Amino acid sequence: MLLDLHTHSIKSDDGRAKVENYCKWIRKKELPLDGFVLTEHRQFDGESDYRHLEDEYDLLILKASEVETDFGHVLVFGVNEDLSASLDFSNIRLPIERVLAESDRCGAFAAPCHPGRKRVGLFSHYEERGAVDGVHTVETLNGGSIPGEDELSVEMAEQHGYLGFGGSDSHVVSRIGFCATEFPDQTITSVDGLVQALKGGAFQAVTLRGGQAGS
Amino acid sequence: MGNAEAPVELGAVRDRWVGVEFDWASFDMRVEDMVAWAKACGEQDPRFTDPDHTDFQAHPGFTTHCMSGRVLPDDFPQIGGGFGIDGGKNVQVHAPIRAGDTLHATTTIADVFDKTGRSGTMIFIVQRMEFRNDEGELVSTVDWKMIKKA
Repeated sequence: MLLDLHTHSIKSDDGRAKVENYCKWIRKKELPLDGFVLTEHRQFDGESDYRHLEDEYDLLILKASEVETDFGHVLVFGVNEDLSASLDFSNIRLPIERVLAESDRCGAFAAPCHPGRKRVGLFSHYEERGAVDGVHTVETLNGGSIPGEDELSVEMAEQHGYLGFGGSDSHVVSRIGFCATEFPDQTITSVDGLVQALKGGAFQAVTLRGGQAGS
Repeated sequence: MGNAEAPVELGAVRDRWVGVEFDWASFDMRVEDMVAWAKACGEQDPRFTDPDHTDFQAHPGFTTHCMSGRVLPDDFPQIGGGFGIDGGKNVQVHAPIRAGDTLHATTTIADVFDKTGRSGTMIFIVQRMEFRNDEGELVSTVDWKMIKKA
């Protein structure tokens, strides 16, 4: 199963893509994605219901969140009421240890995204402040990375023994699916299933740039 | 805009100012302005460029030029550095704007938030103008982002 784990819709302040237009694009361009996860900035969108789009386009559409911490941005999958009550998602200085610990306590899965990026990436803080306990997985392939960022992410993830996943970080329709995550021999149908699959660790980051899949 | 001497906590600014109306203005929708705007945008649809068209109306982005001159409320705290830069406008079209309409705009602070990117931490102040016609019908909403360095 191939999922883009990092996308933004117009629910994000800088998102320009409507969710239905993502679906249309995936089908029109015949992208190999089975679905995507909406990771809106500094919030969890508990209101929107995309089940009709899932049915119409035969795609899995899940919701998560991208929060900001003192060690850069972190994707949180499996956000629930417990976690929403525990963390102020709008706070751009959340302590990363707290995000990781609370996510774990609430049954969610938290992983830093674009870790090789200046200022907002996990690894840009490691040299000065050291490694963070509790990190096990990072986004090694990000569709919004500039040259050098993903390379650093992959190198540092290997160095620290972190698993890697991929996401496009798309803010406009045409960038969805630039990077994604492959879950071999697995069928994911819900956000709980996604959390379990991520915790299981059997996945790999892939890039689809140029229409060619590759790790 | 007022000047605060101490750094301002953004949550308090949000709580105090989001939703506060601070400006009111009216704008006459003139045919020549509507056509000029549409043509300047490269628009070719006659609904926006031909005043004789049966459905002639303002181009969707037309209200973005309607500025009353007041950017922030009196006494709004000095947050972030400098005067800020224009972060662009987002327009929602609710109903057609016709030639001869007078639009009545109210301006509010819609949001105040910060976020961190490659360039560091930036503060966003969102000013919202809502335009209603003489019948009180909401025809257009324009959100304008001002970006300041934190």
